[in-house]
Amino acid sequence: MSHITSLLMSLAWRNLWRNKRRTLVILFAIVLGVWAMIFTAAFMRGMSSQILSDTINNLTGHIQIHSKQYLDDPVIDHRFSLIDDQLFESLNNVLIKQTSSRVRVPAVIVSERESTGLVMVGINPDNENGMSFLQSSIVEGRYLKDENDSGIIIGRKLAERLETRLGKRVVIMSQDKDNKIVDRGFRIVGIFDTQMEALETGYIFMGLQTSEDLLNIKNEVSEVSILLHDMNQLDELVADLQQQNPHLDVQGWAQLEPMSRVIIELYDSFHLVWHLIVFLAMGFGIVNTLLMSVFERTREFGLFQSLGLKPGFIMGQVWVESTLLLMLGLFLGNIIAWWSVLATGEGIDVSAFAQGMEMANLSNIIPFVIITKDLVLANSVVIILGMLTSIYPAWRASRLVPADAITRV
Amino acid sequence: MISVKLKLIYTCLLFLISTSVNAVDARQLIKDAIDHFRGLTSYSEASMIIHRPDWQRSMDMKIWTQGLDRSLVRVTAPKKDMGNGSLLIDDDMWSYTPKINKVIKIPSSMAHQSWMGSDFSNNDVARADDLIEKYSHKILETRQQDGVTIYVIESVPHEDAPVVWGKEILTVRDDHVLLEHKFYDQDGILVKQLTTLEIKFIAGKNLATIERMQKVDAQGEWTEFRLHHIEFDADINKSTFTLSNLRNPRF
Repeated sequence: MSHITSLLMSLAWRNLWRNKRRTLVILFAIVLGVWAMIFTAAFMRGMSSQILSDTINNLTGHIQIHSKQYLDDPVIDHRFSLIDDQLFESLNNVLIKQTSSRVRVPAVIVSERESTGLVMVGINPDNENGMSFLQSSIVEGRYLKDENDSGIIIGRKLAERLETRLGKRVVIMSQDKDNKIVDRGFRIVGIFDTQMEALETGYIFMGLQTSEDLLNIKNEVSEVSILLHDMNQLDELVADLQQQNPHLDVQGWAQLEPMSRVIIELYDSFHLVWHLIVFLAMGFGIVNTLLMSVFERTREFGLFQSLGLKPGFIMGQVWVESTLLLMLGLFLGNIIAWWSVLATGEGIDVSAFAQGMEMANLSNIIPFVIITKDLVLANSVVIILGMLTSIYPAWRASRLVPADAITRV
Repeated sequence: MISVKLKLIYTCLLFLISTSVNAVDARQLIKDAIDHFRGLTSYSEASMIIHRPDWQRSMDMKIWTQGLDRSLVRVTAPKKDMGNGSLLIDDDMWSYTPKINKVIKIPSSMAHQSWMGSDFSNNDVARADDLIEKYSHKILETRQQDGVTIYVIESVPHEDAPVVWGKEILTVRDDHVLLEHKFYDQDGILVKQLTTLEIKFIAGKNLATIERMQKVDAQGEWTEFRLHHIEFDADINKSTFTLSNLRNPRF
């Protein structure tokens, strides 16, 4: 049996190279197809991982805790106390890597010439480190020193819009816990620059304590944002936290940012569709080439059969031929795809389309990300469907009537 | 050695005393100027002219005030604006429009927007007393002119004051009439100014009867406030300044 198999293998291998040009052409088609599948998958994976990390960085975190009504109406009334043993206890969980509590309320910022509405965020600068984009995005001035820092940080676009700049004073107005108007002058100590305009114009940052003083609250916040060691434990932790703190609202990023979730899911589900489209084009090529080579060798197959080779073995030989071709193509395709992903380095710069990208929640550089799941999917689509499609030419070869085949010129 | 030290302390003390006297003086001057046209209570009739390069409109109004915290304004003419009102209690402001029969609380987001379509902001109208408490004052210049003393005062807002201006410069006469109020941005560029155009002796004292507010970078746009009649210490009690009176057409 193994003798036959090795015979079939060597026959198939030699048959492949009997017509070099034809084999190379179809090999090229397979390599190109595999490369396109993997490279595009890496691109889409890169986009969705970018969206995910941006979403988490943009003050979302993995999990957020709010008071019950905050998400419907994010105002000062919907705050919760941090001096809460139960909450403290449940945040002391080994799954949690980092937490940051924030005051986050609507406010108005006024300069000498303009005023605009936005969201005022009071943060503890140390806890916020590594949780959000802020510290790494400071382009002028400095980051907040501590939660009592009397300065504020605003976005570059906002500074332009308000016709103000680093070192100048602006007035922030909001409503305190009794719904009375509170306002105070603040000096701009830092300017941040992100790739997303909405962040630059929509948020200002100040020390947590400073914001609590302004709003006349004490040890109360609007949200606690949580970062996990391992994102796979998210659902589990959300359920735990919610159960331990029934008076609060605990949600994962997917509920907080449904838009990002939908985009990521869309990209993910598109992988298979894309692979099938590429394979459809490739599959016709494979079938066609194999059929051609089968028809060319009608006489030969007739001879084999006359000499006593069973139809099953003939079918097997053609099938092995195509499988060898597919595996060779996959091997080369994977290598080239891997190489081209490495060659793009950090990713591709799409800043020329910055505004359009921003609408899709994307930033300017899109990295390529290859994950095992995508590789397995692309390779198995090609090998499984490829083997299935080559059944037909192989079956055709085995169905030849020896007497007819031998006499065919 | 000791004498040098003493001398130093003495000069420091002198300096401290002189500056504090100066500060009190400047602040007092501003406080007096504000009290001067407000009185304890007042009732006045005035008109406001809003001028733009291609149009101009005028509104007549009645104003009741009590101290700095309470005031009620009612528009009496022209007909289409008649009945519009504005009520100020402490830092809160409401406006009323009879056409829709609704009282609206002016939210903080609108505090810096225009009051009744004029060049005055809601804050200019509501927050006059901030000028006394939340600024440091300094007399820049004292001069004699036409037999009266004129003080030029520089008021710089405190670091945390809810004021966007870099400084304000007020020119006040010794009879407490405000001649000029200039608003500078934090680069020292003039942004807008209030100028007194006419002073008359009415209700027993000299009062600015025409005042004009003008933004520097919008030439040809200004708002004039003309005072026609005023009664000080009129019989106005606290219950005048209520939301129901804001709706009440008799006020």
